[in-house]
Amino acid sequence: MILHPTVIANLLAVYISSGMVLYAVYYGVQILKYWDIESGHELQLVLERKTYLISTLLSYVFGLQLLSLFLFIFTADSLTPLFVGAMCAAGTLNVDAFGYPTLVLKIFNFILAGLWLVLNYADNQGYDYPIIKKKYLLLAFIAPFIILEAILESAYFLGMEADVITSCCGSLFSSERKTGIGSEIASMPALTMMWVFYGAMLCTLASGIFFYLKGLGGYLYAALSLLTFMVSLVSIVSFISLYIYELPTHHCPFCIIMEEYHYLGYLLYILLFGAVVSGIGVAALIPFRQVESLQFMLSGFIRKLALASVILYAAFTAFVTYEIVSSSLVIAYEVVY
Amino acid sequence: MIELVKVKKVFNAGNPSEFSALNSINLLIEENQVTVLKGPSGSGKTTLLSIVGCMSRPSAGRVKLQGREITSLPERFLTDIRRKTFGFIFQQPNLIKGISVLDNVMLPAYPLGEKRSHLRDKAMKGLAELNIGNKAASKVEWLSGGEAQRASIVRALINDPHIIIADEPTAHLDTKLSYRFMEIIEKFKAEGKTVIITSHDPLVYESSMVDRVVNLRDGQIEGEPA
Repeated sequence: MILHPTVIANLLAVYISSGMVLYAVYYGVQILKYWDIESGHELQLVLERKTYLISTLLSYVFGLQLLSLFLFIFTADSLTPLFVGAMCAAGTLNVDAFGYPTLVLKIFNFILAGLWLVLNYADNQGYDYPIIKKKYLLLAFIAPFIILEAILESAYFLGMEADVITSCCGSLFSSERKTGIGSEIASMPALTMMWVFYGAMLCTLASGIFFYLKGLGGYLYAALSLLTFMVSLVSIVSFISLYIYELPTHHCPFCIIMEEYHYLGYLLYILLFGAVVSGIGVAALIPFRQVESLQFMLSGFIRKLALASVILYAAFTAFVTYEIVSSSLVIAYEVVY
Repeated sequence: MIELVKVKKVFNAGNPSEFSALNSINLLIEENQVTVLKGPSGSGKTTLLSIVGCMSRPSAGRVKLQGREITSLPERFLTDIRRKTFGFIFQQPNLIKGISVLDNVMLPAYPLGEKRSHLRDKAMKGLAELNIGNKAASKVEWLSGGEAQRASIVRALINDPHIIIADEPTAHLDTKLSYRFMEIIEKFKAEGKTVIITSHDPLVYESSMVDRVVNLRDGQIEGEPA
């Protein structure tokens, strides 16, 4: 299994990320301990030069980290024919105990990496490295999760056994089963979830537009953005997938990334993840609005982030609504089994 | 005003070939003055000039420009300062062959996005002031040494810099052209510009228009404690 090209690509990506992050953390710790912009000491000047290298390097590493989430899902999907019982990535992720934990950690790391990139961009706009310590503090926080991801991902791919009979998505995300988080979400009432989804999205978009226009309520928007992200993920399983598959019982969040559904899942997930990262990024940057070297640009950048987040959420909602409206499926009442 | 505080520059640090070019230099360069950095070859003049002009960074110490610390600035901020604050005149004219004198002169201003017609007028005016207006369309290969030097001076002035930095500007000029160069420097001073020159040419450092001569030897300012 390890010789499968996509598995090699995944493992290479995660090992490169881990190695680079470890290297960066080594200098990050020195920056946290010894950084003093007022000092003309040799070490300070070395750290100032080093931070360019680290910052550039981590921009690529975290860019790779963002891509690796989708590569991981694509890999899980492409390995499907190798496992008996697997119909899509849902089954492949279930072949051993590390598949789903790796996916969850990759989602978590995606958001953290995105936040680091937002902080790094803002820091690079100031002439005096205004948020350098916060940036490296966040890196020190992220690093253990990246390493853990490398361990879990290695355990997942290396632990795959071809003779394992796995479960298909119909079983893992079934509203008939009452055990497992996938089934619990699937068994939520679809119409109620639709109201919750559109309600949450409406509040989030309104809050985002208000922040963009008035510059007020940034923290509220970030919180709503995170909440809507989670509601949207649940909604995909609960009702969005039903309309895409045009089946009242198929709740799989992975089949939508397949060719049969025009890879629509990738588009939806990219919009959703982009929206949450830029949405939370707003809250990450608000405390630095008064920093002297950033005050002329940061407010504008935060507003742009909020606007980007609003546009991505709006695009996500538009695609979802289109799928619902154009679907042959009609959910007029709750299906009770 | 340019202030250097305990500036050190070490090349190949940590290697057997480690060389300390500047050792804890403290220096204050006043505005609207002509300052000459004088010293034998290897004394650190050019290294010091390149640090003052933001072309290289010190190994330790700080440089302040108009009270603002510039050594810690990220590269893109330094580029902006280099472009707008300093005009560089090198030992060799360093003109780009194959293009005209006018294009060479206008080149440093292109990143600033100034309107080409304004830029062209400014370049032509500068060339005319140094009596090489008739060479504007010529390729730089066709210029004499003195003309090439004057073209490089016009190029250094195209962004109207506040500070002119000249590294051994008379090294390849004969006496007559060297005097002509010093006349141009006098004009800069009259216009309120700050001029920093490295030279071991007596014609430069003994010139009456020079306000201050700083003697460098073995990476230190002579007369200052190590």
